[in-house]
Amino acid sequence: MFEPFVDVVPSFFGWLNQGPLTLTIFLHTIIILPMIWIYRQEKKRIEHEEN
Amino acid sequence: MANNHLTGIGSESKELATWYFTFAAILFGAQLLFGLVAAIQYVMPGFLFEVLDFSVARMLHINALVVWMVFAMFGAVYWLLPDETGIETVGIKIGKLLFWVFAAAIVVVVLVYLFIQVGSADEMSIWFIHEGREYIEAPRWADLGIVVVALGFVANLFLTGMKGKQTGIVTVLMADMIAFAGLYLCGMFFTDNISMDQYWWWWVIHLWVEATWEVYVGALAAYGLITMLGAHRKVVEMWLWIEVTMLFGSGILGMGHHYFWIGTPEYWWEIGALFSALEPLPLVAMFIHVLYDWGKTQGEQDAQGLEVSVIRNKPAFTWFVLNAFGNFLGAGIWGFFHTLPQVNLYTHGTQFTSAHGHLAFFGAYATILIGMMYIAIQGTNGIKVMNHTRSSIWSVSLLTGGMMGMTVALTVAGYVQVLVSRAQMGATWAGYFDGQSGMWFAQAMDWRLLMGVVMFLGFALLAKDFLTTGKNPVHQR
Amino acid sequence: MAKKSVWSDNRFWQRSAAWITGFASVLLIWLTFDTMAQITIGTDSDLKNGVTKRVPGPTVINYKITYEMSSKRGHEVPIIGGNDGQGMSLFQEKEKFFGRDDWSEEEATELLHLGKLGSQVKNCMNCHTLLGNGAYYAPDLTKAWLDPQWGPDGSMQAMTGKNTKEEAMAEFLQNPSKYPTHSRMMPNLGITAEEAKGLVAFLKHMSSIDTNGFPRNFGKIEGAVHGK
Repeated sequence: MFEPFVDVVPSFFGWLNQGPLTLTIFLHTIIILPMIWIYRQEKKRIEHEEN
Repeated sequence: MANNHLTGIGSESKELATWYFTFAAILFGAQLLFGLVAAIQYVMPGFLFEVLDFSVARMLHINALVVWMVFAMFGAVYWLLPDETGIETVGIKIGKLLFWVFAAAIVVVVLVYLFIQVGSADEMSIWFIHEGREYIEAPRWADLGIVVVALGFVANLFLTGMKGKQTGIVTVLMADMIAFAGLYLCGMFFTDNISMDQYWWWWVIHLWVEATWEVYVGALAAYGLITMLGAHRKVVEMWLWIEVTMLFGSGILGMGHHYFWIGTPEYWWEIGALFSALEPLPLVAMFIHVLYDWGKTQGEQDAQGLEVSVIRNKPAFTWFVLNAFGNFLGAGIWGFFHTLPQVNLYTHGTQFTSAHGHLAFFGAYATILIGMMYIAIQGTNGIKVMNHTRSSIWSVSLLTGGMMGMTVALTVAGYVQVLVSRAQMGATWAGYFDGQSGMWFAQAMDWRLLMGVVMFLGFALLAKDFLTTGKNPVHQR
Repeated sequence: MAKKSVWSDNRFWQRSAAWITGFASVLLIWLTFDTMAQITIGTDSDLKNGVTKRVPGPTVINYKITYEMSSKRGHEVPIIGGNDGQGMSLFQEKEKFFGRDDWSEEEATELLHLGKLGSQVKNCMNCHTLLGNGAYYAPDLTKAWLDPQWGPDGSMQAMTGKNTKEEAMAEFLQNPSKYPTHSRMMPNLGITAEEAKGLVAFLKHMSSIDTNGFPRNFGKIEGAVHGK
């Protein structure tokens, strides 16, 4: 399932780099996901202000 | 003095801004002059050989570039601070003193570059001649001076921002400028390890031009739209926050595209490729933002039956629109061309990079800073609506046309290098010179020089316009 | 009345900007720690114990360096002291550098220090590229040490009247305009014999850095170059 490690020194990021996109999709996801939480909070605030 | 957008009279902060702008404009001229010397040397290698060699001309070319932009950036902040915060800048006396310190230091550094040029391989040369690291060659004594000046500037900005009204624009500038100044420290040490050297060197270069400077431009564009069009602050600042989100979101890790080949691990291929591939997005957003606000404000006014342009400063606005487009084209498109590692393996270190560098610095930074200079001319001369003059139109056309021509020429030269020197001949000494002597390369260099001359003419007209337009009767007072 | 959208709310974007900037910065710092560990310069004992480093120790100047395809990595890698046949360095085969292959760690470090200083003070980067960064007025120096031009079949040893690569390079660096190789000449930068030695050590060391296969096919297509 996993690609063998080829770079000189094994590392966490090197391990996530399993082929095109794996590492970057992972990083983008953890960067973007919390925005959903910020969105929900702000939505609640706006609804609260409108009432 | 909350709403003195259009007048700089009576504000010391704005007076200081004009000093910064003046010095910046002079350095801009110097940058073009040394660029011409270097361009001539590509065509006639014997030109000024062992008098003012390419290495020296180019060092002056790129250092003048960085310094004039930093000067104009400081100037623009001093210009907009009273408008945004509603108060006079705090500590302006120190600001003025630091201007003279900064300017004097630059003059000394330039004289040393010109007349001493190289030293012997020891620490003394690094301290007093130059550090020989592209873009941040300034000798170490000057580095320390720059840190002091930058600290003073950031202190002025923070004290004013905290005392006065803290708008979204000021908040973004405060966060951005402290990062901008702090990052300079990453480029101040010496190491024997060239990989380590270049790793930290990019922290300065990349995180300046592809992160903090871009955000700075976003803030400046926001200010410009409010002052020149009367755009709604709330809408403009929302766009600004979206731009900050996207610029820092892509730009900070986009740094990975400089870590493909300098000895750093392979995982940077992926990080650099994909994050930097997203870097054009905020630039598209900025372009849309400027055109959208322009159309919207004009439309609102048209609806009231007023048949006049909403633009209160035509030359400045021209430069701001060129900035929005040039940033996208030069930094965005030309950057994306060669940001993927599969492509960059062959384009890294060729005229391709040079084409991108020229159009990006011009499109993203030179344009908007020239626009700010026009805003300052409008303000200091008490002009209500500033119109184009014959020389403002000619200068903007020649400068932009020259830069586009130069970029295309360098791109063609880059193709030759990539195909002949790199792909076909494997990047050796012989391969390099085979590429350089190809007809397409040689002709591209001729065109580049010609376009450089066109730009220089444009600059001459720009300087003339700066000096004379204030008193021109075409403007509404 | 239509509800106000979060997407056009300034506070939402302000908080998103703060989150993304902060998190991207933290990630960058984390990645920097990881990379720092990997690109720290190696030691003499690494070389002696056969430990492959991305940036080998300065005593790499005692070894023979080549640039060969590694099937595992999928690109060329620097091979130090012989190839084990799989694209890994053996760290065995030595090569004399200015007549010696027993430069001590101290001596080699000093030489590299002088060379790196020299490369900055002489402003190499404003004509050449190093690791691909710099100006484009002169050839890339990343693997200059391995350039066939300086080898036994190249023209530079004969031109400078020297029998070894390092001596030819040092001679050229001291009197560049005496040996014009192209109409675009290198200017005389007042490089002393000692500085030249340091610069050549710096170049040899740089050629041993693992640059993930940049430049591609370096020096492999001699036929095309010389066979025009």
